[in-house]
Amino acid sequence: MTGLISRMDGLERGAIVVLGLITLAAIAAPWITPEDPFIRVAEAYLPPSGKHLFGTDEIGRDLLSRVILGIQLTWLPGLAIIVISLCIGALVGLLAGALGGWVDMGLSRLTDLFLVLPSTLIALAVVAALGPGLVNTMIAIVIFWWPWYARITRAEIVAQAARPHVEAARLAGVGGVRLLWRYLLPGAMPALLVTATLDVANVVLVLSLFSFLGLGLPSPAPELGAMTARTLDNLTVQWWLPILPATVIMVLCLAANLAGDGLRSSLRGV
Amino acid sequence: MARFLLKRIAGLFAVLLVMSLIVFVLQSIIPADPARALAGPNAPEEVVAGLRETLGLNDPVLMQYGDYLSRLMHGDLGTSVRTRQPVVADIAAYAPASLELMLAALLLGCAIGTLVAVVQHLVRRSGVVRALLLALGSVPIFLSALLLVWLFWFQLDWLPGGGRIGIRRFEGPTGFMVLDGVLLGRLDVIASAIRHLALPALALAIPIAVSLARSIGSALATTMQQPFIQMARGKGLTEGRILVRHAARNSAAGPLAMVGLQVGLLFANLLIVERIFAWPGLGLYTVQAFAASDLPAVLGVSLAFGAFYIAVNIVIDLAQAALDPRVTLG
Repeated sequence: MTGLISRMDGLERGAIVVLGLITLAAIAAPWITPEDPFIRVAEAYLPPSGKHLFGTDEIGRDLLSRVILGIQLTWLPGLAIIVISLCIGALVGLLAGALGGWVDMGLSRLTDLFLVLPSTLIALAVVAALGPGLVNTMIAIVIFWWPWYARITRAEIVAQAARPHVEAARLAGVGGVRLLWRYLLPGAMPALLVTATLDVANVVLVLSLFSFLGLGLPSPAPELGAMTARTLDNLTVQWWLPILPATVIMVLCLAANLAGDGLRSSLRGV
Repeated sequence: MARFLLKRIAGLFAVLLVMSLIVFVLQSIIPADPARALAGPNAPEEVVAGLRETLGLNDPVLMQYGDYLSRLMHGDLGTSVRTRQPVVADIAAYAPASLELMLAALLLGCAIGTLVAVVQHLVRRSGVVRALLLALGSVPIFLSALLLVWLFWFQLDWLPGGGRIGIRRFEGPTGFMVLDGVLLGRLDVIASAIRHLALPALALAIPIAVSLARSIGSALATTMQQPFIQMARGKGLTEGRILVRHAARNSAAGPLAMVGLQVGLLFANLLIVERIFAWPGLGLYTVQAFAASDLPAVLGVSLAFGAFYIAVNIVIDLAQAALDPRVTLG
């Protein structure tokens, strides 16, 4: 892992550090907000200043505090979606690649089917039917996110199974779950990790999209996308209200994209 | 060729069938009782029971799905709870605006994406372009749309940032404003429609252009390693001629597939862009349907858009087969 990091250039190494900081900030959000994000602390519509870095919103709440809490509500669900999809996808891919035969046939067809469906479209319909909410949004996104990991895992497993070290392990009498877990899955991890890191930005974008459309948490919760959507009409006069939360989303995605890109190019040499 | 096309079309229709199944399941898992909703909260139980029978709600699920499919075939998507109109009529009324916008966005996105990729290839400063694409790919669509409105409408006042046309009570025969202007021979309509299209189409085009530029970039990089390109270079052809005559067709398959994929993502972005630009199309209709929990409308639009997605992908398959004969052999 340290070898990987040392192969990245400064900007990408910086992105990994930023990624770690964002995650820490997201976890610690309730304790590091300068003001209480839910109560009026100053006059409404104060522009950004030294006292309120991001200004205040329509009822005088500190926008920076709300954005920090908003990072938690975007970042942690985003990571959770990736991890859950990764687990489901890896399991399906592992089963398909390792068992072969009709199991592989069935699972691969299922994966292909999910990959060709217009995913965001159906995810929107799913949330509309289940009702808005963060958990429902996460379910809808996971349903269409795992197939990518399943396809990657299966391809890697099939490639790994023909490699000498797996052959040697098999001849040495290693079989079943141990062969899968210790010899096949580790080979698939690099490709999975790169895809997952690059996907963090995509998931954050999709989540913010759902939040913008009002399909996330209801009103007092400071979701970044919803904060922009609710203050669209303020653009001309109080530009910071819609622009700053949206800009924070962009910073999150940029850091995730840079880190993913760095991870990919340094893994290419391995 | 014919076999390849039939296979692809059959596959895409299977996708539409699965979508209809998903929509059907979504409709039936909502807790509300449609018979009770139709009869009203104070209707006696016998009336509701009768309605359940006439609506076919007591039939086996498979039969209900069969009924649903046959209604779909007859163009019946149910009735919108919000507008009290058949969903099909609503879709027909709002579709031209959205189709016009999506078409403009796709054309613009393909043009910009191709241009960026070719420039990236020719100037050989790929690091700068790559960083720029990475940054643009990180921008949420509502941020780029808002910045476009802010810059070109509020600050510079070059382009309008809301609605479809600046001429009051204009109604054309087709609903496609630019086409109507051409048909009626009215230059003011054409100009106004294009000026109104510019900003929302550009906002939608940015993500398309970014992913297309990336896709063309990597396809070109692979093609340019091929022996026949070295051969062309050896003959002394210019880089531009090599690109157009030798590399373009051979690099088209991946980027074309990427366009097909982007159409699937376009819908979600359409909702946001139409909302921000007050564009009276299917996106805005769906956003309002979300707000009113108008499930038949949301699901109807989803299905209609799924059909559009499939139509576009059939066209793309045709284009792939026409450009590269190797495709049909697969």
